[in-house]
Amino acid sequence: MFLQPRQVAEALEARAKYGAEITPLGGGTDIVVVLNRQSTGPRHFLDLSRLENYAAIRRENGCYVAGGGATFAQLGRLEVKALSQAAMTVGGAAIRNAGTIAGNLGTASPAGDGCVALLAIDADIELSHATRGRRVIPIHEYFTGFRRTALVADELITAVRFPADWRTAWYKIGKRGSINISIVCCAIGMSPRGNVRIAFGCVAPTVMRARQAEAIIAKDGLADASIEAAAQSAMKEVAPIDDHRSSASYRRAMCGVLTRRLLRELRQDAPRAAGRAE
Amino acid sequence: MATDSTTWQLRCTVNGRPIEAEVEPDETLLFFLRDKLGLTGTKGSCLEGECGSCTVIVDGRALNSCLVLCPQMQGRRIETIEGLANGDKLHVLQDKFLASGAAQCGYCTPGLIMAAKALLDQNPNPTEQEFFEGMEGNICRCTGYAAICEAIRSAVQQWK
Ligand SMILES: Cc1cc2nc3c(=O)[nH]c(=O)nc-3n(C[C@H](O)[C@H](O)[C@H](O)COP(=O)(O)OP(=O)(O)OC[C@H]3O[C@@H](n4cnc5c(N)ncnc54)[C@H](O)[C@@H]3O)c2cc1C
Ligand code: FES
Ligand code: FES
Repeated sequence: MFLQPRQVAEALEARAKYGAEITPLGGGTDIVVVLNRQSTGPRHFLDLSRLENYAAIRRENGCYVAGGGATFAQLGRLEVKALSQAAMTVGGAAIRNAGTIAGNLGTASPAGDGCVALLAIDADIELSHATRGRRVIPIHEYFTGFRRTALVADELITAVRFPADWRTAWYKIGKRGSINISIVCCAIGMSPRGNVRIAFGCVAPTVMRARQAEAIIAKDGLADASIEAAAQSAMKEVAPIDDHRSSASYRRAMCGVLTRRLLRELRQDAPRAAGRAE
Repeated sequence: MATDSTTWQLRCTVNGRPIEAEVEPDETLLFFLRDKLGLTGTKGSCLEGECGSCTVIVDGRALNSCLVLCPQMQGRRIETIEGLANGDKLHVLQDKFLASGAAQCGYCTPGLIMAAKALLDQNPNPTEQEFFEGMEGNICRCTGYAAICEAIRSAVQQWK
């Protein structure tokens, strides 16, 4: 079975009817890789690529609202640095033309670069159901375990909302430059009021935030000593493993390095950003 | 919306030619082009989006055909390497690849040319950064890239 609805309502009905039997298909850059590798992949698809207003990104009250079908190519043009930089390191141009933000959230890989960037700016995820309607959950409640999320099998991710005015910094350490699955990825966001979010990929079963490090910065600001304390804390908070890409100890060390480097970058940006007109 | 039947009636165009075919929902565009349409210029190797040898252009944008399911192509306009030459007259990118000696085994060449065409169709005068972003998804194991870059840059001069 392959369904190709035009209206979101139709897609939600199909999802409510078939649940886990049918696989939502965004750009296919995760699903079809699996399908090519093994003969036991999904057989029934709900193609979301034709849905009206599903790929658009719009501005709304100082926020961006990106439809689930927004591609990395589109996100790469936004002025939210962490998200656009992360988007531009996903695969090559052809992958960025296909891969969607809902797909990144759907796969919920601990290496998901879109997930890390969105976690650093307190994004909200809109999950929709045919009859129960929409619910919006903060991204830090979305990831519940290794490739497990708050998404229920009869829902679809319909949109992502995130602030347009946070200052952000981002870096990814990977084998082929950065255009590849990362060894460690870090995104840091700072709200205009000074709330800091420090997010990591590849250092725990899910993307994660170093909350104690955040608390240090919230309390003591961006002085050298508090940045150092935050970096030390981040290294203790993460829970990396050894695998074929890297060792746990290297990943842990890099979490400290990236925390330090990106917080300094944010501090440097500060005066310019404060004077920027919205 | 389609019915629950297992096969899919695909309608699209390939290099301007209208195509109507019955496809499986999990059949990829790569093997459809190669095995059903006999368009073997499009190559497959990694089947995981890493190498770019399967690059085709769909409605003006580069895609990896190994990661596209056929029904996703409903109503789409697909361009492959076979559509570039006009009779015996090579497309400027093909011409420049030849002139620069940008192919050795040639396996990566069709994908590279399609990626370059998609890039230049959208942006006839790319910056270094844009050039890199457009081409970074295509791997060549033989040439070392210098001749490839030279070929594409000299095609830029003549891009219309
Ligand atoms: C060569 C290559 C390089 C890559 N590099 C990176 C990288 O650097 N960083 C990175 O993070 N990822 C990377 N990826 C992985 C992939 O591109 C991303 O995860 C992408 O966001 C997936 O989006 P998609 O639309 O293609 O997803 P799909 O494959 O279509 O779907 C992925 C999952 O999400 C589900 N899904 C899709 N849309 C919805 C929805 N609306 N509601 C509910 N569930 C949904 C699907 O059912 C499926 O389970 C790479 C992939 C390739 C092939
Ligand atoms: S075969 Fe498609 S990217 Fe390698
Ligand atoms: S010429 Fe052999 S892979 Fe590029």
